[in-house]
Amino acid sequence: MIAINKPWLADFLVGERQAWIFVFKCLLAFYIAAWLAMLLQLEQPATAMVTVALVMHPQSGMVRAKGFYRAIGNVAGSLCALLLIAAFPQQRELFLLALSLWVAGCAGGAMKYRNFMSYGFVLSGYTAAIVALPAISDPTSVFDGAMMRVSEVLLGVIVAGVVSDVIFPDRLVDVLQRRRREHFEQFMAMAGGTRLGSTPRAHMEHAHLRFVRSAVQIEDLRSSVIFEDPETRARSSRMQLHNLRYMSAATTFQSLYHLIDRLQRQSHPGAAEALIRLYAPVSNALTAPTSQHLEPRILADRVAACEAELPMLAAELREAFRDDADLQMEFDSGATLIRRFASELHDLTMLEARLRKAQGRLPDGIEHVDFKRSNDYVAPLITTVRGFLALSMLSLFWINTSWASGPSALLTASYFCGLLATSPSPVSAAINISIGYALGMSGAFVVAFYLMPGSDGFMMLILASMPLMLIGPYLLTRNATLPGMGTGYVMSFAGILALKNPMVYNPEQFLNDAIGSWFGVVACGVAFMLIPTVIGTEWLRRRQLRKLRQQVTFVASSPMAGLLYHAESSNRDLLHQIVQHTRPDSDELRHLLSWDLAVHECVRAVIELRQDMQHAELPPPLKDIMQRAVDALARLYDAPDTRRWQDACRIVGHAIMLTTQALPRAQACCRAPLGHLLQLRAALRDDESALAPFIVTTPEQQRAA
Amino acid sequence: MPREIEFAGATVPGLLLVYLGCLVMQWVIDTVIGRYGWYRHVWHPALFRVALFFCLFGSIGLLLYP
Repeated sequence: MIAINKPWLADFLVGERQAWIFVFKCLLAFYIAAWLAMLLQLEQPATAMVTVALVMHPQSGMVRAKGFYRAIGNVAGSLCALLLIAAFPQQRELFLLALSLWVAGCAGGAMKYRNFMSYGFVLSGYTAAIVALPAISDPTSVFDGAMMRVSEVLLGVIVAGVVSDVIFPDRLVDVLQRRRREHFEQFMAMAGGTRLGSTPRAHMEHAHLRFVRSAVQIEDLRSSVIFEDPETRARSSRMQLHNLRYMSAATTFQSLYHLIDRLQRQSHPGAAEALIRLYAPVSNALTAPTSQHLEPRILADRVAACEAELPMLAAELREAFRDDADLQMEFDSGATLIRRFASELHDLTMLEARLRKAQGRLPDGIEHVDFKRSNDYVAPLITTVRGFLALSMLSLFWINTSWASGPSALLTASYFCGLLATSPSPVSAAINISIGYALGMSGAFVVAFYLMPGSDGFMMLILASMPLMLIGPYLLTRNATLPGMGTGYVMSFAGILALKNPMVYNPEQFLNDAIGSWFGVVACGVAFMLIPTVIGTEWLRRRQLRKLRQQVTFVASSPMAGLLYHAESSNRDLLHQIVQHTRPDSDELRHLLSWDLAVHECVRAVIELRQDMQHAELPPPLKDIMQRAVDALARLYDAPDTRRWQDACRIVGHAIMLTTQALPRAQACCRAPLGHLLQLRAALRDDESALAPFIVTTPEQQRAA
Repeated sequence: MPREIEFAGATVPGLLLVYLGCLVMQWVIDTVIGRYGWYRHVWHPALFRVALFFCLFGSIGLLLYP
């Protein structure tokens, strides 16, 4: 064999190899679906073929997840079509109105949900249209139509799933495992290698962003992998727990970093130094003595060992501040954080070790947690309104002109209204898809009217249609550079070619359908121009940022059960949503990140404080003032201004004073909340945080400083 | 077993119900195997799963509709 000594060539060849394997799998599934559909005498084999073409993805987990939601959407849409036809068999206006409402509602749902669930919504709107529209002049045929449609789509889904899973499978579970390991190791390196107190803030902000991204990515991957791998499905709730523990450990680490940073800036280097020394055992436990690689099992033991020696060391270091009660309190607050971090690290490493264990049954009884998404209601609402207007206008146009190709236009519009809704630049996506669409149409035209009439039998059909068909899957693998073009191509090629047994040749109808679909895409594009998408606009980003701040309000007033994980995951999901549409390295991103860090720290401290407040022995007046402090913080983050900042600062200060006075009498129940109150006050007064513009320095504080 | 079963006014092929039942069985077996990690002893888990389903559906279908 010739050794390839040009790295770019090797990369290119590896990429091409994967691309062509994918093309081969696509074609195989495509023709198997066509053959089976013809064998089973389904009405429109083209539907099964389009399904295969749309569901295929290089990774088999994706195919199964997408197929699963496509099947659900399809069944829901068919049922809706049955209901619509049954309800309005004679009134076309009411029927079209109801259909537009359904499709628009589904588009809104597609906007609200993530990943393939969103695709399922698009499909259920589209399927209702595709089943109900042909039956409009012959309502009794709708049941058969719905049955056919469901069978065709399910056939396509099954064929695509089996082919992608069995032949040269590219398993998503490997990607998930690799990512999880990478993120775990990065986090451990970060926690072990960061020199607290001397790492620049920008560095920490970037690390924070990376951790947020990885948490959301892993959750996205997990939700697809459970369809592919039964082992992952069995470990699914453990993986969620792992992700959430990882998030809470990351938050604690950030809080710790900021605490030490603040102490240094407020010219208390002694306390900062002591905390850094207290942290040293933790960081030693995480870093391997030589360059060897530490297994999570060993890491867990090392962390447990250092967890045991922390209280001793803390007591020893605390002695240095015997004369200064204030500094002692600051030190205690930091020591609590370090202990919390060590115990969270221990939980995390234990879980990682268990997840990596190759063999055997997993013990039962773990906490069941969910990754909560944070959703906004305005964007789906706008999508719904837009979809409704586009479809009802098209319906009106159809009724008034009695245009024979009205149904094709309506169908295409109903599909793209939902599909493009989630795209940040729908107009350019529509243009890309329509270019693909036009290419696919011309390909289908050549095949249908020049190549196929002369061919005979299934083998000849494959030979005639394959050369032009394989462009589609190949374009799909180039989705990064030509987004949407492959989708448009395969959809129009398979859909318009409309292979049937026996084949029907009708150039007139072919052209009418093509023009109708084209018109639908254009109408959709116009709708998106008239009611522009809000995704990625500054308005939505501002709105989401407000929502991020309101997380503090949320945790201040919600019931405590499961609150920590809910807050941790929805914070990250929100930030991830905003960051996707923010330019990297812009001032806006820095502003956003500084708010996010402030919110994260505050949310966590408020939750811990509320947990402390449930301590039975806490005197009622203290509980009362702490509740007031929590409420004041909630008000501040709800709409920050200087007056609210002053209020919050005053009440938190008051709470600290009262708690300090009560401390000698009730050590057990006051120490922990005092630490959290101090942390909250320090965060409030941090003049490098996002709250800086609202800070007012009163004369007495200046004197104190 | 009847070839067609009436279900809410529509006749449904009996084989479809068998198919759905097999899917449920497959899911249960899959979950159990996944839980204990036995798929590690199989060369091509996906192929194994497909084959398992064929065996289930084929044998039950042939038993019920000889």
